[in-house]
Amino acid sequence: MNTGFLQSLRALTRLKPSQKLQRDYLLSLLAALLVAFGLGCGIMLLCGYDPIKAFGVLFQGALGTRISFGNTMAKTVTLCLTGLAMSVAAKAGMFNVGGEGQLYLGAMAAAVVGAALTGAPLWLVTLLALGAALAAGALYALIPALLKVKWKVDEVITTIMLNSAAIYFCSYLANGPMKTGDRGIASGTDAIAAGAAFAPLIKLSNLTTGLFYAAVAAFLCWYLMKRSTMGFEMKLTGENDRFARYGGIRTGRLMLWSMVISGALCGLVGMLEVFGLHKRFLVTISNEFYFDGMLVAMIMRYNPFGTILMSFFFAILNIGGKSMELKAGISSELILIIQSIIIFFMAAEGGIRRMLGEKLAARRARRAAVKAGREAKA
Amino acid sequence: MSELFSTLLFQNTLRTATPVVLAALGCLLTQHVNITNIGIEGMMLTGAFFAVLGSWLFGSWLMGLVFAMGAGVLLGLFYYVFVIKFGSDEFIIGVALNIFAGGLTVFLLRTLFQVKGSFSGPGIVPLPTLTFPLLAKIPLLGPLLSGNTLLVYVSWLLVPLLWVMIYKTPLGFHLRAAGEYPEALRSAGRNPNRMKCLASVLCGMLSCLAGAHLSLGYLRMFAENMSAARGYVAFACVIFGRGNPPLVFLAALLFGFIDALGLRLQKVLPSDLTSMAPYVVTVVMMVAVVLLEKRKKKRLARLSR
Repeated sequence: MNTGFLQSLRALTRLKPSQKLQRDYLLSLLAALLVAFGLGCGIMLLCGYDPIKAFGVLFQGALGTRISFGNTMAKTVTLCLTGLAMSVAAKAGMFNVGGEGQLYLGAMAAAVVGAALTGAPLWLVTLLALGAALAAGALYALIPALLKVKWKVDEVITTIMLNSAAIYFCSYLANGPMKTGDRGIASGTDAIAAGAAFAPLIKLSNLTTGLFYAAVAAFLCWYLMKRSTMGFEMKLTGENDRFARYGGIRTGRLMLWSMVISGALCGLVGMLEVFGLHKRFLVTISNEFYFDGMLVAMIMRYNPFGTILMSFFFAILNIGGKSMELKAGISSELILIIQSIIIFFMAAEGGIRRMLGEKLAARRARRAAVKAGREAKA
Repeated sequence: MSELFSTLLFQNTLRTATPVVLAALGCLLTQHVNITNIGIEGMMLTGAFFAVLGSWLFGSWLMGLVFAMGAGVLLGLFYYVFVIKFGSDEFIIGVALNIFAGGLTVFLLRTLFQVKGSFSGPGIVPLPTLTFPLLAKIPLLGPLLSGNTLLVYVSWLLVPLLWVMIYKTPLGFHLRAAGEYPEALRSAGRNPNRMKCLASVLCGMLSCLAGAHLSLGYLRMFAENMSAARGYVAFACVIFGRGNPPLVFLAALLFGFIDALGLRLQKVLPSDLTSMAPYVVTVVMMVAVVLLEKRKKKRLARLSR
């Protein structure tokens, strides 16, 4: 195994058992990781691949060179922001599955503004595009949030439906009214103003100065969720909204705000994709990025710090998975399977532990009973 | 206008509605035992894949259905164990199941068939279409009633069957009790978990049949992510029809109609815009059902005063 993998595992176990992520939970996480990777290896063996070689290629591909490290870091940023977006909403009890649509609209808004302002000062272009992306994501998240708060319409279904609607809508714009005249671009908008794109931090990699925007956003999120009154009130709302309302918290407004912040974060991710990587909106701008981030957040129980660490680990799997597909011929979807198995076990962690505990207790009781019976006979 | 509302439109309605009907019928069973199962999307996708696999391996549509239903039983059991036995969050398991299904089907597609995107071929035997010469002679309705695939008729039969089962038999009574008031069922000497297990497994089977209709019904192929959020639409139909099979059936037909209408409108509007229609309509439907419920409650409150 590569040292990167061991290091990230060690970092996980070294987490202080403070606040939400207790030591038990981390041990369960380790067990779930082992089971998931075990199953992954099993699948590989079944399909006739060599798992050790495959994982070697995977970690080599994710961390082996400067460029691949940069790409992994860029992926970490995406996962981290989408994961935080999920966490902020989930903290207040909203299950925002619609981040993908919010991301698309944010990307579209940033691309349109960025292209329209060609010739304006660059800082203005960036600022306005940022504002447009945040607003587009936030407003689109506001629709399901309002429906939920006003009329109690289940947000899981509406956000999923709005995902598909937004993706088709952006595809319509990119193929219709906003279609670029540039050659070689099948369906996309015009390129953003020259020079407005973020500069790469590591040459030839996807890691750009967008990292700083992401870092600021992540810090604000962490502060909001862990240190502010609003974050505390959100937590109360998410855990028991009746109790929170009884305590004088305006739960409806908090739920709206949590969704708006979540949507804005997704919009930011969309903008980073446009300004960092593609320089324009393309219909292929996101490949279910939000769902990957969602997985990370769910595994780490919406803990912001844990989400950041886990994002790095998942980014390794994600980027490495691609080179595994190229070099070892193993479909990168295997990574998705491994990740979802981790989630299955982490979601069931409490239940599994309880059942194991009950079984152990039953066995102990049986042994004690047998012993007592023997003693009585004697 | 007359061209728009031709028989073909209604035939297309049936075609797009049937998978949603089947999945929704499964989903309403879990809804009655108080499980919010959004994993039907993933179950549908898995069913679509295994139907193609079975049909291709054995050259028989029957084996396709057997494979799909087998996958459905396994997924239903899996869902039951994780959600009820381990008491995990049903949303998280549902979402993870959908992601898992997406990964698994594509992985198997690439590993078994060595293709990307979609798999089709002459080796895949589609579902048989049944023609009833007598029914076909009925004017207007004839072409709709006859010449559909097997699963269309199965879905039609299941609607009254499930209605009778849920509302008129002891089994259905126990099923609903397991959802509404499990303690009462337990004190009656029945195990509510057994009812939940039954509902979950049946839901898995029906959702996978829905998937089989997607892949073997008209297309004879499996494509990546071919369920395209229809599982969620089915879920919305269940909410819309309040878990009552005939109403859920009508809701699914409405969805199919809008989908088919969108297809027809592609001549006038860009296809991306018409593709949006079913999703937007589903959201509107979700809102409408909540508002209707509210009005009903208000009316009842006024009456009781």
